[in-house]
Amino acid sequence: MRELSVMVSFSYGEKKVLENVSFSAKKGELLSIIGPNGAGKSTLLKCMVGILKPKGRIEFDSINLMDLKPKDRAKFITYVPQSSVSEFAFTIQEFVEMGAYTTRGDVERALRKVNLWNRRRELVTNLSGGEYQLALIARALAQGSEIILLDEPTSNLDINHSLKIMEILSELKGEKLIIAVMHDLNLALRYSDRLILLSKGRIEWEGSSNELKPEILEKVYHVKAKIVEIEGNSLVLADI
Amino acid sequence: MKRILALCIISAFLIISAVSIGSVSVPLIKVLQSIIYGIKMNLGFGAKSPGTGDTYFTIIWDIRFPRVLLAYLVGFSLASAGTASQALFKNPLADPYILGISGGASVGAALAAIYFPKYMGMFALIFALASVYVVYTISKVDGHIPVDTLLLAGIAFGFFSSAITSYLVYVGREKIHNAIFWLMGTFNGALWTDVKLVFLSSFTGFLFLILRWKELNLLLFGEESIALGLDVSFYRKAIIFVISLLTAFAVSTSGIIGFVGLISPHAMRIIFGPNHKRLLPASALFGGSLMVMADLFARILIKPQEIPVGIVTAVFGAPFFIYLLTKRKRGEIYA
Repeated sequence: MRELSVMVSFSYGEKKVLENVSFSAKKGELLSIIGPNGAGKSTLLKCMVGILKPKGRIEFDSINLMDLKPKDRAKFITYVPQSSVSEFAFTIQEFVEMGAYTTRGDVERALRKVNLWNRRRELVTNLSGGEYQLALIARALAQGSEIILLDEPTSNLDINHSLKIMEILSELKGEKLIIAVMHDLNLALRYSDRLILLSKGRIEWEGSSNELKPEILEKVYHVKAKIVEIEGNSLVLADI
Repeated sequence: MKRILALCIISAFLIISAVSIGSVSVPLIKVLQSIIYGIKMNLGFGAKSPGTGDTYFTIIWDIRFPRVLLAYLVGFSLASAGTASQALFKNPLADPYILGISGGASVGAALAAIYFPKYMGMFALIFALASVYVVYTISKVDGHIPVDTLLLAGIAFGFFSSAITSYLVYVGREKIHNAIFWLMGTFNGALWTDVKLVFLSSFTGFLFLILRWKELNLLLFGEESIALGLDVSFYRKAIIFVISLLTAFAVSTSGIIGFVGLISPHAMRIIFGPNHKRLLPASALFGGSLMVMADLFARILIKPQEIPVGIVTAVFGAPFFIYLLTKRKRGEIYA
């Protein structure tokens, strides 16, 4: 099984944002990165995809992705940014076609997956936040990269769109490695195979949903929390 | 594709019409005969008489045709550079002069007007390119070019060079008259050598951009497009170079003509959308046509005198731009 192995540090000038963040993940997994605001979650994704240049190494099956040119790296890894509504009025199809290795067939498959194929001639500027997020996912998917990183794919979305997106990510993990930064702990616990809790630029905890303890959340988020189990799913409740 | 073809036909029609209109009106058929004869003569198989009378031929081939062609090519260059600037800055309100080119060219032209009046174009070109280099160097951070810094550096440099130009205009007094006319933009006295020069720069610049239409689309999404395989840093540098080439040569032959580089891509985006595969050629063809029309107005509005073409483009361009902005504000059009 193909494996991603990450060990990075990153600073903005003097300010350390990531300190020896080290983890590995296998193709077929859905890994969530959780943690409070400012923990370095988005920075970690940006380092992994090559937007930022960290110190350390990011290897996928012993190929150091940091040594590759953007076009070659895109074969292995891609990134879905935090959703914001697009300013540029591309059609959905044009938007999804933009990847370096995307073919017409890939576009159709990806758009069918997110249920936007019939609306491919509509403008992305007319999509709602949730639909735009789906278009972003389709764009990453159409490129065929083996690892897909997503930065808060469900932020600002209603529960229906959030669940739809998490279901799609769960289906995709069979053929990909999905790494998502998540703010919604309950969605993260329900859908992830594994979670990494980041705090102040370090990994505070790593494990599966049923291993997460309230004390860890309290330590990192400074909020009293309960974790209850309902029908086999862990649920985090803030204890106010 | 049909609409691009229509723009090509409009361009050709406007060029021929603009050549026929002027203080001496020349029938369209004679314009065509003269142009065909001129082309044959230059290619080396045209000893026969043009059949239009020598006066017509001289007016058309030596004066009006190079002028109209230069106007078209300058409009074509500025609109192409404007389209690329808007992709580079991810902003539909950016224009090709934002990199400091116009400021630098003005200083060069004003200096030349005082000390080396014959070399105004050359000075403008050298100063324009040097200015881009300065703005580029100021903006560079760890080998990367953050576009926000580039934009601010360009604006700051613009103010600085404008102060120097004002000072030169103040101390140069009479000597600077030519430079002032030039600063406002003119195609008066266009030469075939200018046409050839701008043809070369516009052709190479446009060819690079159209072959890279996918990359221009991706640049609109900024740093994130690295995830789609774009070498953002490399393409930013390459596009800055091409914008400089297109704009500096246009400015060095005909002065600083505003609004065409800003409006052409903006207007064409409403019709063709943001995809550079169609937007770039449409914008370039529209820019060329717009400039030919503006130059025609500049020639005939207060005959026999001429208005600098930069004034015409600004007078018509500014209200049109405000109209676009209000539409945009109301959400009736998107970028």
